[in-house]
Amino acid sequence: MQTKAGPMLVSNLELIPGRRIVAHYGMVQGSTVRAKHVGRDIFASLKNIVGGELKAYTELMQEARDEAVERMIAEARSVGANAVLNVRFATTSIAVGAAEILAYGSAVRLDDQ
Amino acid sequence: MELLQFGLFIALLVVGYFAGSAIERRHYASIRRREREYSDVLAFMVRFPFDRTTPQRAFLVHGAVVVSADYFKTFIAGLRNLFGGRFRSYETLMERARREALLRLKADARRKGAKTVICVRFETTRIATGWAPAMEVLAYGTALVPDDGSLLLPEPRAGASRLLGDGLVRTPG
Amino acid sequence: MRLENRQPAEGINSSSEHPLKELAWLLGGSVALVVALVFAVSLSAQWIAPRIPYRYEARLAASLPPIAAAPSSEQGRAVQGELQALADRLAARLDLPEGMQVRVGYSEEKTINAFATLGGQTVFYRGLLARLDSEDALAMVMAHEIAHLRHRHASAALGRGVAVGVILSVISAELGRSSAAGVLNQAGLATLLSFNRDQEREADNDAMAVLAQEYGHLGGAVDLFRIMAGLPGADGAVAQVELLRTHPLTRNRRQAIEEGARRLGVALDGQRRPLPPAIAALRGESG
Repeated sequence: MQTKAGPMLVSNLELIPGRRIVAHYGMVQGSTVRAKHVGRDIFASLKNIVGGELKAYTELMQEARDEAVERMIAEARSVGANAVLNVRFATTSIAVGAAEILAYGSAVRLDDQ
Repeated sequence: MELLQFGLFIALLVVGYFAGSAIERRHYASIRRREREYSDVLAFMVRFPFDRTTPQRAFLVHGAVVVSADYFKTFIAGLRNLFGGRFRSYETLMERARREALLRLKADARRKGAKTVICVRFETTRIATGWAPAMEVLAYGTALVPDDGSLLLPEPRAGASRLLGDGLVRTPG
Repeated sequence: MRLENRQPAEGINSSSEHPLKELAWLLGGSVALVVALVFAVSLSAQWIAPRIPYRYEARLAASLPPIAAAPSSEQGRAVQGELQALADRLAARLDLPEGMQVRVGYSEEKTINAFATLGGQTVFYRGLLARLDSEDALAMVMAHEIAHLRHRHASAALGRGVAVGVILSVISAELGRSSAAGVLNQAGLATLLSFNRDQEREADNDAMAVLAQEYGHLGGAVDLFRIMAGLPGADGAVAQVELLRTHPLTRNRRQAIEEGARRLGVALDGQRRPLPPAIAALRGESG
């Protein structure tokens, strides 16, 4: 994945074919708690009448997931890893209209290609 | 009387803020101290043991914590629903909860004599208790202990979790 | 392969921003938003209502049941007759909209109140009438209610109420039953009530002008607010704050009378006219 501070390999595989894991640094996580605002909510209620994709919500969830993954990568970088494997996602509803998105994985150092 | 109601509301807000931040600071201090203390117990997400030659015992360990937001945090979250965006205070709360859950998992593992835990996963659930939601964070994984030949698991010390079975063979008597 | 658990840096998943700063922004922003919305909506309703021709309001009022039933007793009918006569005399001094007829209703309940509503209807309660001691004071109440009718305040209040009700229910739907919803509701109501108070002040001013023309002095207004100040529960015992009241404080209304006297160039005191006979008879009766 190309991130702002250089490439970082992110995958939900446990082993990357052709690469050897040199060191395991433990678990890293990234999470955000987000809410939609009134405008989107009202629009969504109206959209419920006709059905179909709620684009505003899809975008919102995508932004939240991207942010969570960014944070996970930031934690990985801070421990000196160059890849995050075994990535999993978990979403929970926290309060009315708010959800937490958690992304967590193993921070590892792969040998150079 | 509306003055009384208003006064009560302000009082709750103030108490929630001061008590809440004090508790949060103390909790974080405790978390950092225990993270140093448990730095010898290693936790990973990998599915298979690293050492596949030595026989190992495997058993489930877990750590869980239930946290809730104070009155102040809940009030801010209510306002936040109008504008959207990040819930900074809830993010901090959830991070605290996850680190605490992981520490409790490591404590559980150490109590049972393990130094390595693999296949660690997190689960978060909301426990609805009326106006203030409480969140439970559960961390669970498989602890590994090198098999030294005896068929008995080292007896867990007082307070260890008995809730999850360990799936081991015990010699009778 | 090296196996370690390294602790990631702090502050990635948590925030060190001061929560009070976040509170200030959120609270300030949301209260400002609610107040601005309610203000804009109220102002529009206020501007539009008087411009809708009166005949639509009359039609609406006609389709609803009459506010006060006709009085059942001989005495009640006499009182109503006297009230209507006074109303007709005072209404002539105010520029009523085309087609509006002031209709006075009399209720024998002990409530100490009088009000004006849609379709030119007013209602006076026995409880209030029994406490008045001169025709001047009665005329102040009457003129105040007729002034409400003249400015179409009832229609404006109806429009405001509906529009603001929609806004507040959207907020409740979003925020659920949280304390935040309560705070914003109060902010919206406070803004709404300030419009109500403006209406009351406008009616007071018009009523004083009528009094000055009819009686030559504002003694009736002084009497009325003296009586109101003496009522149980007047203005509340604790905090004399206007913010969440429908009417201005009695204290402030009395001050307005003094200013009104100066403005209209009339005296604050003068010869009072006695109450009409049937209404005067109510004073003696207890209960």
